[in-house]
Amino acid sequence: MVGALTRRFGDLDLAEEAAAEAFATAVQRWPTDGVPPAPGAWLTTTATRKAIDSIRRENKRGGKQKEAQLLYDDGPGEPLGAVDDERLRLIFTCCHPALAMESRVALTLRMVAGLSVAEIARAFLVQESAMGRRITRAKAKIKLARIPYRLPSADDLPARVSGVLAVLYLVFNEGYLASGPGTDPVRNELTAEAIRLTRLVRALLPQDGEAAGLLALMLLIEARRAARLSPGGELIALDEQDRTAWDRTLIAEGHRLVRERLAAGAAPGRYQLLAAINAVHTSAHDARSTDWRQILALYDQLLRLDPSPIVALNRAVAVAELDGPQVALGAVDRLADTLAGYHAYQATRADLLRRLGRGEESRAAYDRAIELTGNAAEIAALRRRRDRSRTG
Amino acid sequence: MQYLVSVITNSTELATDEEGAAIDVFNSRLQAEGHWVFAGGLGGPDTATVIDNRGGQPLVTDGPFVESKEYLIGFWIIEAPDLDVALALATEGSKACNRKIEVRPFL
Repeated sequence: MVGALTRRFGDLDLAEEAAAEAFATAVQRWPTDGVPPAPGAWLTTTATRKAIDSIRRENKRGGKQKEAQLLYDDGPGEPLGAVDDERLRLIFTCCHPALAMESRVALTLRMVAGLSVAEIARAFLVQESAMGRRITRAKAKIKLARIPYRLPSADDLPARVSGVLAVLYLVFNEGYLASGPGTDPVRNELTAEAIRLTRLVRALLPQDGEAAGLLALMLLIEARRAARLSPGGELIALDEQDRTAWDRTLIAEGHRLVRERLAAGAAPGRYQLLAAINAVHTSAHDARSTDWRQILALYDQLLRLDPSPIVALNRAVAVAELDGPQVALGAVDRLADTLAGYHAYQATRADLLRRLGRGEESRAAYDRAIELTGNAAEIAALRRRRDRSRTG
Repeated sequence: MQYLVSVITNSTELATDEEGAAIDVFNSRLQAEGHWVFAGGLGGPDTATVIDNRGGQPLVTDGPFVESKEYLIGFWIIEAPDLDVALALATEGSKACNRKIEVRPFL
């Protein structure tokens, strides 16, 4: 249909945008109003109307209320066949591997999530004109190189779905902990959009374990949002959070998804394991009652799947709880070659050194972590821990 | 829809017998499946001559238009309905000729 609209409007940009809106309307209305007699014609008519008032609508967009609405599941979605397929096609096109990763993220936010170019530019701290050029260039490539509006073949699907999930996880992470100093440290609109789109992919590919896993992971992280920032704008670590501020509804849904994947019995992928780790954290009533043994077992499983130094770093945090900071520090120090320039490495190392009473080294590591961090809330938290290291 | 599938190399060495045989198999497949338009191997950049007649006075330069470590050494022109098909073929082609490949659409 985007193809048809493109032919009709002669403008890929406008056609994609209008089609995406028409599908969204259909997804919303057809389950209650019933599928119209000529679904294709209905969509085309709706998309045409949407195209005409798209500019006016764009100016009205935004607002916290909308963000809040995006977050929660609005009931079991009816599978809608053709409409879903069209929307999925759009996602797969925007996340095509022939496009650069930053273009995929930008296009997905623009075409599928409907964010304005200005909003996307702000989210990723680039000039609006530069972001506009990036999106225009990506769209021109889709058109000229003929990147298809088509679901990947069954052979390609797993790899392509993982590409889509990677884009959504990237969007979520930028919202969870913004990388630069020029934006809010936590960007709710990005986490909300990422969750909404992951819900969609999950609804459209219900048999995909990793889509379910990523959704569960996002929900279990998002659930802790209110407890993550102090009134003074400082990031609060998991073990110091007020757990009564966690969102029980999101946790319940995340746990339900994790249980569903466990029951499926298939070997879990990366997102499912990360979701399971977060499920263990969110099951503990207080930090002390965290089942670290289970978390360590999950990290071991994750490490076999993804033997990256970052996974090894996170595993060391669990090791510290079970075998003490000295053993954990040994594991962390072995990662120095690859991770010395990574703020979380320095921060983890600083925490371990502080617990071992090695104050001077600890403070040096905190200083290094602060230098490497762009996020204001994280810097505030690191400073406080550094200063605690001075007195303790 | 046609795509230019360029073979990029950084060595002056010609295709080995093994690579040549694999290319033949790939070419036969392109022809059998209706993707074949044209293909050819090229002489190296040392054999290139650049002509610039924009000013009315033709200027002849020995060598390629741009010196680079990597350069074009051959190409296919293929017929494919979209980029996914073109990239799938190029993936096979890259394996066959054992070289890096660039895919570009004809306008």
